[in-house]
Amino acid sequence: MNILIIEDEIRIAKRVERMTKEFFLNTLQKITSLQSLAEGLEYIKNNDLDLVLLDLNLNGENGFDVLQETASGSFHTIIISANKSEALKAFEFGVLDFVPKPFNKERIELAFNRIVKKEEVGTENLQFLAVKKRGGIHLLNIDEVNYIKGAGVYTEIFLTNGEKELHDKSLEKLSQLLPKSFERIHKSYLVKTTEIKEIIVKTGSQYAVELQNGEILPVGRTKYKALKEKIFK
Amino acid sequence: MNFNYLYRRLLFIFILFLGTSCHQNSLSRKGETVYKTNKQNWEKEIDLKGGEVFWSKTNISILESPIEFQTFGLDLSNTFGEFEIFWDGVLIGKNGNPGKESKSNLNGEMWRAYKIPIHLSQKGEHQLMLKRSLFHAPEYYGLNVFVNDYDYLLEFPLVYTAFMYIFAGGFLLASLYFFFLFLGNKSEKPILIFSISCFLFFALILIEFIRTYISIHYSQHQIRMEVISYLTFFIAILVPVYFSLQFPFPKRKIILVIYSTFLTYVFYRNHLSYDETSYNMALTMWFFSFAIAMYAVYKKHKGSFIVLLALLVCAFINNIAYFDTSLFAGFGVIVLGMLYMLSIKAKEQRLTYEDSLVQSTRLKLELLKKSIQPHFLMNTLTSLIDWVEEAPEKGVLFIEALAEEFDVLNQVENETLIPIAQEIKLCKSHISIMKFRKEIDYIWEDEGINENIEQLIPPAVIHTLLENSITHCLPSDENQLRFKLIVFTSKKTQEYTFLTFGTIRNQQKSTSDGTGFKYIKARLIESYGEDWTFTSEATNEGWKNTIKIQK
Repeated sequence: MNILIIEDEIRIAKRVERMTKEFFLNTLQKITSLQSLAEGLEYIKNNDLDLVLLDLNLNGENGFDVLQETASGSFHTIIISANKSEALKAFEFGVLDFVPKPFNKERIELAFNRIVKKEEVGTENLQFLAVKKRGGIHLLNIDEVNYIKGAGVYTEIFLTNGEKELHDKSLEKLSQLLPKSFERIHKSYLVKTTEIKEIIVKTGSQYAVELQNGEILPVGRTKYKALKEKIFK
Repeated sequence: MNFNYLYRRLLFIFILFLGTSCHQNSLSRKGETVYKTNKQNWEKEIDLKGGEVFWSKTNISILESPIEFQTFGLDLSNTFGEFEIFWDGVLIGKNGNPGKESKSNLNGEMWRAYKIPIHLSQKGEHQLMLKRSLFHAPEYYGLNVFVNDYDYLLEFPLVYTAFMYIFAGGFLLASLYFFFLFLGNKSEKPILIFSISCFLFFALILIEFIRTYISIHYSQHQIRMEVISYLTFFIAILVPVYFSLQFPFPKRKIILVIYSTFLTYVFYRNHLSYDETSYNMALTMWFFSFAIAMYAVYKKHKGSFIVLLALLVCAFINNIAYFDTSLFAGFGVIVLGMLYMLSIKAKEQRLTYEDSLVQSTRLKLELLKKSIQPHFLMNTLTSLIDWVEEAPEKGVLFIEALAEEFDVLNQVENETLIPIAQEIKLCKSHISIMKFRKEIDYIWEDEGINENIEQLIPPAVIHTLLENSITHCLPSDENQLRFKLIVFTSKKTQEYTFLTFGTIRNQQKSTSDGTGFKYIKARLIESYGEDWTFTSEATNEGWKNTIKIQK
């Protein structure tokens, strides 16, 4: 694990660092603590990260600008903030968890467990997928997303208008963030269930789904039962 | 009371306010008057030395005979001198002792009606002869005479005076009321000017109609007219001054001086023609006020349109009414316009006051919010938990520092100004808290604090600057951030310079529109109005804030 903490309160940064070390133990390769957004962004650009722990109010600056940047990254973001009222908005941008201050060891470990155990966030709040595009960050509304295809360490997002966008997060990580309306139907596919027109059963226990737009996607053998249950429920 | 009577009364009052001229010749027509002295024969003009007896002869035609039991009277108002009246050769009245004026006391009066015997008041030609002397004003030998119903001649001036005095009473009350209002708030000059104008106007009506019930000898007539013209003069000065205060215009003082000079010229130019002078002064005042009102309408001042309308109504009244009435009714309308302006200003002041109350409450809340806003409170509590978990003894010190800041905030929450020593206490307690949170060595210095003199500042102003500095400045390589407050007190000013020695995190980012600066400015306005300056700038060493207050 390579972890970055962005927090301007030294005492709190030390606390987060200590608890992170205690949780990840020897799986932790590197932990860095920075105090400003500018330094943080610079670090994100130049380093491969697994997790960013971010305070939303840094030296009087609004952390939401950075949040878009981090949300588009390949790593997960956990917010640690004093402003609970910002939680909902943070989830809209696609954060793994929002830890309100003051926090204790149990609460921060609950957040870390989501990473380790690959737990789904189980929130319906995600509104946007932040993707890097032509040098800037572009926010995709998840209502425009048909399905997502895993392509190694990154993912391809297929939109209702037929276009395709790339996301730096793995399918694994996105499936943790996306709302329940998205279903993992295959090791390489995440589909919005409302876009499924029908399930096609082929010979030899081979399954597929046809989408509203006519596209046909494969369904994993192990996923078929869960998908059927969800659709016919 | 039958309706016919009521109708006639109403018509009478209406005519009364429209003017007194239209009824004068309704019953008689006056012929030419000729005069004769011992030295001259009947002539239209004579030369009088004063005091000598002379005669006047006037033919008067009565246009209709009196009805049963009706008596006609002769009105000789405004006729100067002491005289005996002969109607068709019969002595019907006496006003003083003609020819013996220099030897006797002042006898007779100017406004009086004389009864004409019924048998001498039939329709047709009659002759009026006066045996007269003019000891005090020999040049005023002209004659003003007409015939009317005797009861009417007695009644009319009384009713007219009664109505005008009701009118005047209103102005007296307004004058007293607004004078007391002014005593309550001495900075309100328009209220004082309005009060004085009302009083002058009351006095003007009082003096004008005093002739109805107090006998005035013709030699005293001039005194009354002088008083009236001075009253008119001062009213004509005050009304435009009032409007100029309510509707400010550029170069006001110079223009007002020019106006006053011109008015003084009008006042003295033909001074003894009292009525004409009064009228000209009123006219001058009207034109100047009208110009001010026009300018105010152009500048879209509140209430200016109503004032302009009042002035137009005043001009309209002047057009349709007789001189006296037009003057009083015109002034009345103008005063109403002035009153309307005062009511508008009073409403504005009330709204401003209510706004300031809301603003004060808001600032108080903002002050309280400083200690409970989540960014401060939750970060503090998180650090505190960590200290308690990791080093309980230090945690206790942290809690004490927190208690201290809350304590000082509680002490100052209801104040709009506090001693600078208390503000420093607040800053120092905040620094202790931040030391625990940020683990930076914050150093506080101050100079110029003197407990023996009054050095005041709105609460949490320096505290807000300190918060800003802690947020936006990086510590030195030795992990130090140094603050210095310099207090400078002189007789006229109170100055606070707050310096931060450190590096600014983000040079481009302006904090001048931030909530912190808004709070500081709102607090300064609340206590000092416009009499302060606040600057905030980067320096080579860090940051410099300066607050300068005019005492």
